[in-house]
Amino acid sequence: MAKQSILVVEDEKMLRKLLEYRLGKHYEVETAANGEEALDRMEAYTPDLIISDIMMPKMDGFALQSALQSDKNKRVIPFIFLTARSDEPTRKEGARTGVDDFITKPFDIDQLLSRIDRLLERTKVFQKNLDAEIGEDFSRRLMPKQMPSVPGYRIRFYNQAHDQGGGDLFDWTRTDDGNYFITVGDVMGKGVRAKFYAFSFLSYVRGTLHAMLRESDSPAELLRRVNQMLIEDEVMEETFASLLLINWNPDEHTITYANAGHCRPVLALPNGAEIVAHSDLILGLESGTQFTDTTFDLPPDSALVLYTDGLMEQRLPSGETLGEDGVIEIAAAALDDNEPVRSMLEAALTRSEANEFEDDILAFWLQREA
Amino acid sequence: MSFDVDTHTDTTVVVDIGEALDFRNADDFKSTFQSHVDNGVRNFILDFSDTGILDSTGLGSIFSLYRQISPEDGQVVFADVSRPVQVVVQLTRTYKVFRQFPSVDAARKALS
Repeated sequence: MAKQSILVVEDEKMLRKLLEYRLGKHYEVETAANGEEALDRMEAYTPDLIISDIMMPKMDGFALQSALQSDKNKRVIPFIFLTARSDEPTRKEGARTGVDDFITKPFDIDQLLSRIDRLLERTKVFQKNLDAEIGEDFSRRLMPKQMPSVPGYRIRFYNQAHDQGGGDLFDWTRTDDGNYFITVGDVMGKGVRAKFYAFSFLSYVRGTLHAMLRESDSPAELLRRVNQMLIEDEVMEETFASLLLINWNPDEHTITYANAGHCRPVLALPNGAEIVAHSDLILGLESGTQFTDTTFDLPPDSALVLYTDGLMEQRLPSGETLGEDGVIEIAAAALDDNEPVRSMLEAALTRSEANEFEDDILAFWLQREA
Repeated sequence: MSFDVDTHTDTTVVVDIGEALDFRNADDFKSTFQSHVDNGVRNFILDFSDTGILDSTGLGSIFSLYRQISPEDGQVVFADVSRPVQVVVQLTRTYKVFRQFPSVDAARKALS
């Protein structure tokens, strides 16, 4: 995490330098010689905390404090007054304008540091809770509320977001001719930022799919369009995503897919499991990338398994990851189970000798019944 | 923590990726390559000989580098790619974009 920043507002040069030096060991420090300068500085950046003298030329501490009160973004920055006037009226005036703390000169630097710490801690906890809340909200929106229900098919889905997780996404839609489009992907990055990008990205994929279905139902064509958008649209410039698109025809029992660098699906068959091999370059990297559609049949009592990298990257006691080979094995073993996804994930945890997964987990199971 | 960078020519550097490039140090990697890009470096040899972890955030930071320098005929090449890194490269099909060399020396020769 980047260092937190403190703005020191003090007209006495010696004291300003001293504070800059002492606080600089722990924080990013900016300085200003009076209230006016402080406001100028804050045009360009927002400190995490302000320490201000009261008596200063041009604009004193109280005037600075009131000026900040009128700005809803700056009003919330923790504010400490350094004051030689420890008398009651001053404190009362401070309390009225929303000052978080008073330190009386001459002050003990360790005491100042501990008060700064406490105030910043509060902001940090608040920020962390807020991030978690937004993260959970995005995670929910990136996942479907329900699954398709199709006679002759068993469909299971599981996903669990992790604190350290990123931008996993999953979506499905039924087309007018009774086919299904299934989307699974992973937007690179971690935390709330990745989830936000994933959310924007998924909205775009949905919109593109709807527009495209009028003229084409090719997953490869959709990948081509989405890739071009990521390359050309400046808003999405730093977004890279793996994406697997499946066009499933439940009447014909066929799957047509195109894969842009996503974890390769597994096809579990009664006599073993195999990888659904073809895949092309991840999205957002290269203009004009070509994608290919591949079609195959889903035989009776076979299952198509989609997942994200959290499953594959689960660490084993050997230090290796579960890997594609591991996923193939646990998928093959789960084929006879009534709750295949649960049994797969339990098998993954057993192998890794862990109680929980270290990343977002997502698995989708599409089985044609015998 | 920053990354060790060895200057090969005015426009080519070797970056030692070390043991891991992931969500913990991807921002450090970005600021490392950014200062070199700003100084006119266009070719980056990434040394993966000791790398045990390359996650999607780490790979994303390499993509950001590629997006910046490829319009100016720059290259990102991978040298001495460890097995865990090879798995990620295979999965994302990025070997189509990043040339690979068996060693840093071989990459230096090719980019001289």
